[in-house]
Formats: sequence, structure tokens, C-alpha cells
Amino acid sequence: MKTGVSGELLNISGLSFSYEKDKEVLKDIDLKAVDGESIALVGANGIGKSTLMKLMVGLYLDFSGDITVAGHKMCAANLDHIREHIGYVFQDSDSQLFLSTVEDDVAFGPRNYGLSEEEVEQRVAKALGQVGIENLRKSKTYKLSGGEKKLASIATILSMEPDIVIMDEPSVALDPRNRRNLIMVLKDIRGLKIIASHDLDFVMNTCERTILLDDATIVADGATKDILGNEALLQAHGL
Amino acid sequence: MNSIEKKLLELNKIEDIQQRSHWMNSLHPLGKLLISVIYILCVTSFDKYDIVHLILMSVYIIFTFAIGELSFKEGIYRMRLILPLLIFVGIFNPFLDKNIVLIAGYEVRGGIVSMLTLVVKGVYTVLAVYALIATTPIDDICYALRIIKIPKIIVIVIMLIYRYIDVMSKEADRIFTSYRLRAPGQKGIAYKYWGALVGQWLLRSMDRAQIVYESMTLRGFRGDFIPSKKSVRALDVIYPIVWIAIFMIIRFAVTG
Ligand SMILES: Nc1ncnc2c1ncn2[C@@H]1O[C@H](COP(=O)(O)OP(=O)(O)OP(=O)(O)O)[C@@H](O)[C@H]1O
Ligand SMILES: [Mg+2]
Repeated sequence: MKTGVSGELLNISGLSFSYEKDKEVLKDIDLKAVDGESIALVGANGIGKSTLMKLMVGLYLDFSGDITVAGHKMCAANLDHIREHIGYVFQDSDSQLFLSTVEDDVAFGPRNYGLSEEEVEQRVAKALGQVGIENLRKSKTYKLSGGEKKLASIATILSMEPDIVIMDEPSVALDPRNRRNLIMVLKDIRGLKIIASHDLDFVMNTCERTILLDDATIVADGATKDILGNEALLQAHGL
Repeated sequence: MNSIEKKLLELNKIEDIQQRSHWMNSLHPLGKLLISVIYILCVTSFDKYDIVHLILMSVYIIFTFAIGELSFKEGIYRMRLILPLLIFVGIFNPFLDKNIVLIAGYEVRGGIVSMLTLVVKGVYTVLAVYALIATTPIDDICYALRIIKIPKIIVIVIMLIYRYIDVMSKEADRIFTSYRLRAPGQKGIAYKYWGALVGQWLLRSMDRAQIVYESMTLRGFRGDFIPSKKSVRALDVIYPIVWIAIFMIIRFAVTG
């Protein structure tokens, strides 16, 4: 939900996290991001990109270190405030969509934030239009194709108009036209964008800054063209 | 098609019916909920020998299924679990209850009548519930439950259970489909894999239910469901009033 927060939206310092004892998935992560930035998270499979994103939206709270989102420190008591600012697109669309029609699912977020029915309607129409699936409005979510599910999942987040958009592999399963369209959509979104992807060409087109993860930590953080242009660096880290 | 797929299809089919654009579907859910509840209360409160007047109550069922274009077959199919139970409960009545009662001028043994009454009551109840579910999405029913001040926690539990059944059946479908595709020519599932598969199924369902719940909280779910507000039209008020009046007349006036 747009709240007009600006400046530093995300501040992570000294973050470490493990699912199981003695097996740290993330170690000593430091990361700052400001409004308007678009950041790619890249790294080999299983390196911890999804985990880092889930930590940013407060799905796991038993981490060590500090996470601050839009001025709120990450802790159970602040979750409601934090989540008002964030939209998160899951890597797996089946996890995202849970209502029976696309329309209902896209309206779920705005309704929860107490918008009037007209506003909800506007948001739904706009979000579906942005990703180009107005024709699927009344469709059953379980009948959608893989790519259609992805687009619907993205629409469920766009309709909330969050300050921070976090997307895990948004371009997966999309055909070339929808992929190009998504690039345009992402360019239009203001606010902070963080995108995990293996699609380096997609990253090149959507993100100015890239963060490379390996061995549970950030090994490179800089301009996308510098990092993706550095073949040796990418190869050394499994890309 | 395996039986899980069939179950899943059944669930989906009901959702399809719920979404169709029929005037009965677009009636306000509160009215339909009230009709169903009062109908069931009325039906179950009939005297155990009063089968003649109980038959009159079928007017609601026949109307809803005929005009609502619902399939009797589907409704009856849903009774396959409850019917044996009813018969089991009622089967001893003819032996225990040796009273003689007058039905439409004939002398009949009371036990037989009361058994029939019990079965008819059960059938009406199931069909009435089916008619409600088939014309009203779960979210709308829950919305109506909230209007009549059923505690939030109960309504949410109902809603989450519904979601959970969905999650579990989809997960089962995935697991068993992937199994079958890699075990061609096998009928059913090999005995030695049952333990592993069922274990996987429960774990994965729990996992997925957790993720779905997370996905809900990430989009502002705070423990209260906010469905689209339904506007109330004249028909939404008249329709339940007429039905409830009919029930009352059959129950109290005609029965005397
Ligand atoms: N729920 C979980 N419980 C235990 N371990 C987990 C869990 N989820 C992920 N992991 C482990 O954490 C590590 C990081 O997983 P994560 O999903 O963050 O990787 P990723 O970078 O997103 O990979 P991919 O590119 O394949 O999506 C992996 O080694 C994975 O096995
Ligand atoms: Mg991932």
C-alpha cells in the first residue's frame, strides 16, 4: 500500500540465518536500499535468494542481525506495519493464488486494507490491465496455465500498490511477449524493486543494481552492467 | 482417472456451479443461509409419525433443484455417506416401536413410519445443504455467518478448513499423478510405497497450507475475511420471507 514513505526503505545489517542448526544459509549480510532503486538478486540454485527475500517480508523471524523495513524494525509486533509496505511474489505461483477466481484473488489485498468497493474495482482493473490479463478476470485460478498463473500472481501484488515490490523469479514460465510486457510493467512501477532471477537478460533490462550471492553471503554488489559484464566473476560463482 | 482426481473434480465442479450466473446464485447469501437453517430446523422438528406433512416440505427441495437447475443426481450422490448411517440408526425402529398409527386412513406400525420419517428428514437436510452450497460460494456463506454474529474465530476456522481440504486434495493429486506416470502398468499404488507417500502427503500439505496462510498474511489478512459487500435488492428480502412463511404454514398451520 502506498504510504508515501521515501528515502531508505530497507536496511539489513549483520543478518545471519539458518533453517537447521550449524548450517547457515545466510551469513553476515549487509544491504541498504532506497526508494526508486531496482535491485537484482542473482546466484546459483539453492544459494539463499528466496530465503533472503522471505526474511525481508518477515516470514522467518528467528534470524540474527537487524532488518529494518520502511523505518520499522523487523519483529513480530511490527509485522503488520511492515507488510503494509511490501508486496511479495512467490517463486511458486500455486502458493500465491488461493481464491477461486483471478478477480477475487487480485481483490484480496486491497479489500484487506479496507478500500471501498469502487477503489477495489479500480485497482483490480488496473492491475489486470498492467499484466495484460483482463480476459482472465473471471477465470478459475486452478485452470490457468503456468504463465497465466505467474501473471495473475504478479497482479495480486500490483493491486496493492506497495512501496516495495519483491519478486522471486517473475519471468519464469512467461512467453517472450509476456516477458517483454513484464519488463515494461516493472519499469513503470515506482518504489523499491527487488527481483531474484536466473534470467540475466531480464535482469539487464529491469535492474540497475545487482547483488551476487555465493557461500551464504554477498560477494558482489554494484551496477548491473559491471557485474553481469564480468564473465570471470559470474563463472567463479556458478552462473 | 484415479479417485483423488475424481474428488478434486467434484470439488471443482461445485465451484463451477457456485460461479454460474443464475439468479439463485446472485441472491444475498444471508437470505439463503436463513432459509436453509430454518428449513432444517422445521424439518427436524416434525413429529416422528407425521410423515404426511413432512412430505409437503419437499416443495422447497423440488423448487430449488428444478428452478435452480441443480442436478438431483449430484445431490443424491453426496448422500451416499449419510444414507447408510440413517438407515442404520432407523433400522431398529420397526422392532422396538410396536405402536399402531393411522396414516391416511391406513393402520401402519409406528416403527416403520418413524424409520421413514427419519430417513426423509436426513435426505431433506442433505439436499438443503447441497442446494445452499451449490448456489453460494464459501466466502459468501462465511460473510452471512458473520452478519448473524457467529464468532469470527469459528467462521475463519470453517474457511481455513475449506481451503485446507483444497490444498490437501491438490497435493495428493500431484503426488499420485507423478507416481503413476513413473510406475506405468501398475494398478493402484504398490503396498510398500503407501507409508512413504502418505507421509509425504501430510508433510507437503502442511507445508503448503503454511505457505498459503503466509501468502494471505502478506496481503493484509488480519484474521478477518472481508468479502465484497453485497447490495440488498427487493428480491433478496422477499425470497426468504416467502419461503420462511411457507415453511411456517406447513409446519404449524397445516399440521394443526
Ligand atoms: N524450508 C526449508 N527448510 C530447510 N532448508 C531449506 C528450506 N528452504 C530452503 N532451504 C535450504 O536453504 C538453501 C537456500 O534455499 P533458497 O530457496 O533460498 O535458494 P534459492 O537461492 O532461492 O535457490 P533457487 O535459485 O533454486 O530458487 C537451500 O540449500 C535449501 O535447501
Ligand atoms: Mg529460490
